Amino acid sequence: MAPLGYVERLDGKGGVVERFPIESFPIKIGRAYGNDVILDDPYVCPAHVAIAPDEQGRLTVTDLESVNGLRESAWEKPVASLEIRSGSQFRIGHTQLRYCGVDHALAPTLVDRDSRRLWLNSPYTAVIVGVAVFLLLCLDAYLTIIERVTFAAIVSEPLSTFAMLLLWSGLWALASRVIVSRFHFPQHATIACGAIIGFFLLSFFAEWFEFLFPSVPTLWIAGLFGSGLIIGALVYGHLKFASTMQRHSRLWAALLVSAVVVGVSAISDYAGRSKFSNAMEFTGILKPLDAAWLPAITIDEFVERSQKIRQDLDALAQKAKATQP
Amino acid sequence: MKKFLAITAALLLQVAIAPPDLLDAQVMGATTQEIFKQFSEHVVKIEVVETGSAAKASIGTGFYASDGGHIVTNYHVVSKLIHTPDRYRIEVTDVSGQPIQAAVLGVDVVYDLAVLRTNRRPKGYLALESKGVDQGTRLYSLGHPRDLGLTIVEGTYNGLLRHTLYPKVHFTGSLNPGMSGGPALTQAGRVVGVNVATEGEQISYLVPAERVAALLERTAKVQEPSANSFLAEVGKQIHANQARYLADLFSPKTPSVTLGPYSLPTKPTEFFRCWADALRRKEIPYVAVTHDCSTDDYIFVSSEQSSGIVRFYHQLLSTEQLNPAQFFTLYSGQFQAGNTAVFGNEEEVTRFRCQTRNVQTQTGKLKAVLCARQYVKLPGLYDAAFRVATLGARNVGLVTTLSLSGASFDNVQLLTRRYMENVKWRR
Repeated sequence: MAPLGYVERLDGKGGVVERFPIESFPIKIGRAYGNDVILDDPYVCPAHVAIAPDEQGRLTVTDLESVNGLRESAWEKPVASLEIRSGSQFRIGHTQLRYCGVDHALAPTLVDRDSRRLWLNSPYTAVIVGVAVFLLLCLDAYLTIIERVTFAAIVSEPLSTFAMLLLWSGLWALASRVIVSRFHFPQHATIACGAIIGFFLLSFFAEWFEFLFPSVPTLWIAGLFGSGLIIGALVYGHLKFASTMQRHSRLWAALLVSAVVVGVSAISDYAGRSKFSNAMEFTGILKPLDAAWLPAITIDEFVERSQKIRQDLDALAQKAKATQP
Repeated sequence: MKKFLAITAALLLQVAIAPPDLLDAQVMGATTQEIFKQFSEHVVKIEVVETGSAAKASIGTGFYASDGGHIVTNYHVVSKLIHTPDRYRIEVTDVSGQPIQAAVLGVDVVYDLAVLRTNRRPKGYLALESKGVDQGTRLYSLGHPRDLGLTIVEGTYNGLLRHTLYPKVHFTGSLNPGMSGGPALTQAGRVVGVNVATEGEQISYLVPAERVAALLERTAKVQEPSANSFLAEVGKQIHANQARYLADLFSPKTPSVTLGPYSLPTKPTEFFRCWADALRRKEIPYVAVTHDCSTDDYIFVSSEQSSGIVRFYHQLLSTEQLNPAQFFTLYSGQFQAGNTAVFGNEEEVTRFRCQTRNVQTQTGKLKAVLCARQYVKLPGLYDAAFRVATLGARNVGLVTTLSLSGASFDNVQLLTRRYMENVKWRR
């Protein structure tokens, strides 16, 4: 015989932990083995409540003079009986229960967008991307060594960066486990690796651009906005696996984090600029490029354009004089 | 680098000078004891006092140089008053022991001299030596080393130095902080020079007497100029001086030195000193050759500012072992290293402003950075650093830096241009 409905045991967030089919009414709920629904909760009495229909077919939960009583939820006062319908919840001891009829209305089926990004879910992707990032870090370390090249010098920094990356992914995996009950570690690691590659490419291109066109403060722009963008993307990616947020709310969260990062660095940059310092601020990046490919101005133009420095300094001196007693 | 002699303690030099007729009769071979006895009463102690706390901010020495009560000392002894006249006053103490307030009549910042006057009429004064003095002549310097009381120091005259910005007397005697502004006398009691600086170990410098005579002549008729006008005067003197000595610097006739494939400027004038060294060790995979030239001397403007320093240094980097990416990591690092000025505070200088460009010269392409800052109290004077790195090669590169202090912006631009033109490649 098909069941008439189900009593569901819920977890703290409302998720179903266990389902008890109801073959016929009335049913009894309690800790004793003679019940229809047996609960393993020390705050529940051996025979705690019973559910029975009245003449009109309405269902009522009745307290069987239990020690801890019957409530609608943890915050409500105990009641002697409670009328319920399909979807109604009630609480006995520390257990939250829900009754659902077989014809209980369901939410529409979600379209699974994950299947299109199946590669991201594969642990092989994480391994391949991880190895790629490690090799990239080693290559970078090798190319920036100006003392004698040793194996230790090449791998020590990449290893510590990599350890940080694993730790970061681990923290996100823990968060995922708590929030969506799955670790998703390979996905988080792949996303973190992606961010490292992003930072790598950003600084590579920014340095070359700054070298070729020193009049544009590329490094400054990349440092401020490029970093903000990558961090935003990172947050967006992690939240996909560590939350039940919809796409548009993840976008907003990522945007918010980016804005905070850009804002904080812009403020500290501004504060640094208005403070007095004896430092000459310039980014003298040099690259091995054949001189023929390098855009350059003439000596005359260089000297002529330095007039701008004079104007800036005149303005600064005026300002300094005005603020002094 | 030399040290100026008035920092916070000044030395009082007492020289008693006899009237000229008596001086002529002075017996040659007078003892140090007699010289001290005879001339020390014309030497005074000079204290710059902070008006708020009535505490002395700096001490130096001075001496009466006319019967009208003109006192000669160093500019650097009284520079605090020149820069912030409302915060300091000058007190002069002579043999009577009574401090009396003095006013500044005139300064010569380039030669580090100042003339003061009090209302008190002096009993006598020290005359200046107008004749040349032979090398080896015994001189007696008077002053207050570290405020320990009037002291007499013996030494010898060793001629005029040519490697300094202006000719200074080389005196082999121990001058110490506090003796600044005191006189160095012949046995006859005539002033040959004014104590100004020391390099330690009996190497000391005096401002020649003819510079004192020139400033005394200029200030003879001055009554009471307001202290506020001196800052403008200081600025004008530094301007004129930098215009004079920077005018021909790095002209096409500048001698050159060859470092690797580069031909670079070296020792542009007499008053530059150049040094070279190479770093070539087995355990480092590159070779660094340096060539460093700088003026050995500078003009004291204030404790945080100086003018007249010109320094330039070349660093040649080359490698056989590093690949281009590794070499350029080293090269970039070298290009960006040492980008902070040692001195400077908000009251006296602005922040630096920089310009970075790739520049095409006659023989190749350079990465060039020009940074400058302006003096707040002496408008129109700038500190500047100009640095270039040669581009295009894969395993050799040159970083060269020119730094100037207290120069006009026109000169900064002029020298930037000439310096770039002097950096050449051999193919």
